[in-house]
Amino acid sequence: MRVRKRLSAVAVALVAALVATGCGGSGSGGSGKTTVTMWIYPVIVDEAKHRAHWDETVKAFQSANSNIEVKTEVFPWANRDQALATAIAGNKGPDVVYLIPDQLPKYARNIEPVDKYLDDAAKSDYHENLTKSVSIDGKMMGAPILTSAATPICNKKVFAAVGETTYPTSWNDLLTLAPKFKAKGYDIAAYPGDSKQTLNQTFYPLLWSAGGDVFSPDGTSVAFNSDAGKKALTFVKQLVDGGYVDKSLITNVPSIEQTRIGQNKVGCVWHVPVAEVEKLWGKENIQAVPHLTDVKQIGYGTVGSLSMLKGAKNKEAAGKWIAFATNAENTKKYDLASNFFSPRKSTGTLYAGDPVLSVQEQQVATSTVGPLHEKARDVQGVLFPEIQAALLGKKSVEQALDDAAKAAAPLLR
Amino acid sequence: MVALPESQVRRPRRPGSEVRRLRRPSAREAGTALLFVLPFLLLFAIFRFTPAIAGVILGFTDYTIGGDTSWAGLENFRRLIDDPTFWSALRVTVLFTALSVPLSMLASLGMALLTRRAFRGAKLFRSIFFLPVVTSLVLAGVVFTWVFADGGPWSRAMGALGLPAGSWLADSALVVPALVLVSVWSRFGYGMLILLARLQDIPAELEEAALTDGASAWQRFRYVTLPQLRPALFFVAIIETTVSFQVFDMIYVMTGGGPVRSSYSLVYLLYDQGFKYFDLGYASAVGVALFVMTIVVALIQRLTLGREE
Repeated sequence: MRVRKRLSAVAVALVAALVATGCGGSGSGGSGKTTVTMWIYPVIVDEAKHRAHWDETVKAFQSANSNIEVKTEVFPWANRDQALATAIAGNKGPDVVYLIPDQLPKYARNIEPVDKYLDDAAKSDYHENLTKSVSIDGKMMGAPILTSAATPICNKKVFAAVGETTYPTSWNDLLTLAPKFKAKGYDIAAYPGDSKQTLNQTFYPLLWSAGGDVFSPDGTSVAFNSDAGKKALTFVKQLVDGGYVDKSLITNVPSIEQTRIGQNKVGCVWHVPVAEVEKLWGKENIQAVPHLTDVKQIGYGTVGSLSMLKGAKNKEAAGKWIAFATNAENTKKYDLASNFFSPRKSTGTLYAGDPVLSVQEQQVATSTVGPLHEKARDVQGVLFPEIQAALLGKKSVEQALDDAAKAAAPLLR
Repeated sequence: MVALPESQVRRPRRPGSEVRRLRRPSAREAGTALLFVLPFLLLFAIFRFTPAIAGVILGFTDYTIGGDTSWAGLENFRRLIDDPTFWSALRVTVLFTALSVPLSMLASLGMALLTRRAFRGAKLFRSIFFLPVVTSLVLAGVVFTWVFADGGPWSRAMGALGLPAGSWLADSALVVPALVLVSVWSRFGYGMLILLARLQDIPAELEEAALTDGASAWQRFRYVTLPQLRPALFFVAIIETTVSFQVFDMIYVMTGGGPVRSSYSLVYLLYDQGFKYFDLGYASAVGVALFVMTIVVALIQRLTLGREE
């Protein structure tokens, strides 16, 4: 009996200990300082260099704001939305987070606009199109810190092997060059069509270039099944049907090393960043070209911004930090270290001497971030399988786009 | 001759049912036992039951990340019924399960029968067959993507047999069978282990008696081994069905749900709705539908395969 009593006591103690350890809070210290937490991603690929940038920036900020402590955490790009969404839902989100326009509509109701934390000079220093690309209902959802222009990049080695010295500037150029490349065992381009690709970087640039858009101007319906949309998809289909691109990429895109892009068998791509092909092609073999032209010259480009979440514990402190981290001086430093472009006018051009980046930098003005629509991602979800269907010959171009439009309609109600 | 009353008839004990009737524990003993299992029960309740119940409740709400939550009633379920993507995902999931569960069970049973005898290297074979179970499906998915690619080993083998040599993963009709093959490869070792354990529990005298009576190998398997395996088979069937209904990671890596949604499963739909479009209420409704489906199928299996246990 005594043994039993002792065992009972041990069990009770165990339960109590478990409950205590499981439910205990972490506590906030109480040093009198305000802490601002920021989540950022590997914008600078070299982790040590990236951390050094933020350590230095935080140190400079704290010398003028000794009562504000800034904690920056670098998270991987992969599954960043899951991590952030879960954290926000659990009220454990950061105060400040790096977001791109594709994410802004989905997080809009969780974001505190930054307009009042940036002074007028800072706001007017941004390129107008970039301010627009981070604004929802006229309010800035983040302070831009970088921008990009995903122009086509071509492989000089491949062009040399084919015996071509001129690079394409339009869709027609691609179609003209395509048979010559095919005859020599190369692909003129690549079209990745699986669900992990964002259409912002694959199909939409062609749609915009043909004069079309994803949504109607008032956002109440889709517009990708217009004549421009049909023209854009027909163009991709011509590439696929002609055997001018690797058909397997339509259904599954393996890591770039395993693709013909990585094997130096593809002439030009517009969905792959320079940094990704640099090691595979060699920097000296990359030729950047302006966005392709059809009806107009346009392509995709992103804008990275620091956004404040509504749950920020001290909004003033978070706002001060955002304003400091994204000021012209820090922006320039960050962009030069990460090979991105500046969203600010006052920084001027950053890469005048770089043969690749200078071409892309000039294209920032003709780049767009894609639709800032709450259902932009959902619509991509219904459009991409229909594009696949058209490219695999299961549906006509018209049928595929009309079916996608039909599937998108309930999403926009 | 006097017939014995029913209660005094000694019934032959079924092999494997040698469980003694235990004394009913006193209230104090039960209390002590409960205290010992309480930590686990608490953890189970906190980390399994609560999220599951919360998930079901979410299915009846319009919930957005950090935004307002409003009661939606059956709206999400109505949406499910009207959503062609849901029906297509359901079709894919059912087809995948219908192909993968029997195949996986057959493979498990076959391998368990082959490795049940203590021959030289039996343990090595069992370990090798179990290896795919502990291999990351993501890693396996990457390798099998190459295996099934156009010009890959599978496509070449098919070509050599005079069958269509294209990539199975790019073919709407063949993508699910390709995924099923990978699933069976990755799962049969688990079933094999369960069945092997049960096979080794079957008293050798039963088979010896059947052998003495002149039963053929098939008859011994059909009338001696198989009935004895029934509980283990039931367990494997339940586990395999549940795992198959929840197929996701392999599809995510190998096909992304394509081509043209022909491998887009229910859990893929749930993932997209929850973590890509942040429509958590709708994602939870998909989860509830999946849960109900799993329970119904498990009950059917219980009635057919596991009715005596």
